[in-house]
Amino acid sequence: MKRSDKFRQANREAIATVVAAVAVIVFWCIAGFGLADVNISIWHTPLWVWGGCVGTWLFSILVVFILTEKVFVNFDLDSEEGTKHE
Amino acid sequence: MSNLINLLPVFLFLVGMLAISAYIQRSSKEERQKDFAKDYFIGGRTLGGFVLAMTTAATYSSVSTFVGGPGMAWIIGYGWLYMAIVQVVVIFLVLGVFGKKIALIAREIDAVTVIDVLRARYQSNFLANMAAVVIVAFFCATMVAQFVGAAKLFEAVTGFSYVTGLSLFGLIVVIYTTIGGFKGVAVTDACCAVAMIVGMSILLGAMMHVGGGFDKMMQYIGTQHPDMLEPFSRGKMPMSLYISQWLLVGICTLSLPQSVVRGISYKDTKALHRAMIIGTIVIGAMTLVATWIGVLSKGILTGPLSAYGNSVDNITPTAIISSLSPFWAGVIIIGPIAATISTVSSLLLSSSSSIVKDVYMNIKGEHGEKLSNDSIRRYSLTATILLGLLVYLIAINPPSVIWQINMFAFGGLETAFFWVLIFGLFWPKANKYGAIAAMGGGVLIYCVTMAMKIKFMSLHQIVLGIGFSLVLFLIGNAMGKDADEKVLRIFFPERYED
Repeated sequence: MKRSDKFRQANREAIATVVAAVAVIVFWCIAGFGLADVNISIWHTPLWVWGGCVGTWLFSILVVFILTEKVFVNFDLDSEEGTKHE
Repeated sequence: MSNLINLLPVFLFLVGMLAISAYIQRSSKEERQKDFAKDYFIGGRTLGGFVLAMTTAATYSSVSTFVGGPGMAWIIGYGWLYMAIVQVVVIFLVLGVFGKKIALIAREIDAVTVIDVLRARYQSNFLANMAAVVIVAFFCATMVAQFVGAAKLFEAVTGFSYVTGLSLFGLIVVIYTTIGGFKGVAVTDACCAVAMIVGMSILLGAMMHVGGGFDKMMQYIGTQHPDMLEPFSRGKMPMSLYISQWLLVGICTLSLPQSVVRGISYKDTKALHRAMIIGTIVIGAMTLVATWIGVLSKGILTGPLSAYGNSVDNITPTAIISSLSPFWAGVIIIGPIAATISTVSSLLLSSSSSIVKDVYMNIKGEHGEKLSNDSIRRYSLTATILLGLLVYLIAINPPSVIWQINMFAFGGLETAFFWVLIFGLFWPKANKYGAIAAMGGGVLIYCVTMAMKIKFMSLHQIVLGIGFSLVLFLIGNAMGKDADEKVLRIFFPERYED
């Protein structure tokens, strides 16, 4: 991979990361505030707590996993040679 | 209570940290003889994914994660937990946005600090010196606040005096940071992160045991304090607070220099990818468990706030004492102390790198003097230990506003570096006038509005700081001209090749 290509890829990854963060914010709103009026409790703890707190955590892990597997590309940081797509 | 046996676990843990640093110092002797600054301040760019994740998470989570946060959750309830979980984004955001680009650039220009990168990008010593002052000032304030918080907790839990605690972990962290350098900081941070998680899990388990189980405690809280089960907590947790926190401890943490510098330190892209996943798992788990402890402690600490010295900071120590025997309390205290020393070690090293590498070596370089590797070593070690001792001395008799200073410094650092880093790395047209106006003006406006308690739509002053910083950047930028093509070719090769 040429140096310029690595920078192009780094730019793409930066934008994808911002998109991922926005996705987490949207999920957080829906799974928390969105479920605030639902009258379901698990262990006397309302559903919005499970969705908005534990759910947001699990969703973030999933999002980062997709990000690093599908968008992020491995390349050599030091030299021009040797790019590995994994 | 004041039984020396109860201090043994903390003492052994701290000695372990010292031993790790001493070992790392010995094993990196060769690298340090070649290029001291590179090995000492950035670990020779050798961090793997696990250590990178743990050191970023441990540096980020501080004594407030254990004390201030759970204390507020005790009052507010689940709203505070819901707010705190915004911190799941902090690791992947900084590593994903800046991680690769700053790693590529740092290798090209042989950068060791974030300020090295800014100096090269904006071609301005004035900006670099201003950044160094901002970093040293805000980092020192944060370090003092960390020491004070941990020493108070130590006193409340173990019964030993404030100064005893402070001297025990304060002096040890200063020594091990000085000898271990960045690699030592990273590895001890990883141990600290593990200690935090283990400590919190034991406390959570013990509390549930004392309170009769999660379900029973929640039933009690739901009947006695139904507001704690609502996201807005009957007005105690307004929407403006959610938005403020999303910015202050969520999105804007992107630019915290102590996190960004980790982008220079890792080995390869695989390490970065792994660190993003592990870091997100760890920071989320820590936030959930620590803050949940605060909510649940309402089930065992049933009195009004006045029964606990009228300060939310007393909630965590009281919860520890009332659910664990003195010996186990002595074990648990390792968690918050680990959170404290892992933050202090990184900030201390970043501060001394700013003083030695960014300011002193640069001034010498301008006069045509190149410091020998040996004198760099001497100056770096001396600066680290002296600065550490200074922070320790201030913490012995701290100014009373120290708690406010902690969050204040956080926002100040974010304001200073947010646009300067984002535009510097992603916008070729950004120039030094914009950057100087954004950093200087933004920090000034942030500090003034904080001091005068001026708010915009009842949002935290970070909004004003970041907002004005953006406007000032654009105005300043219009007055300057683009950086040299030579510079832009390093930072934006995709615009020149093909």
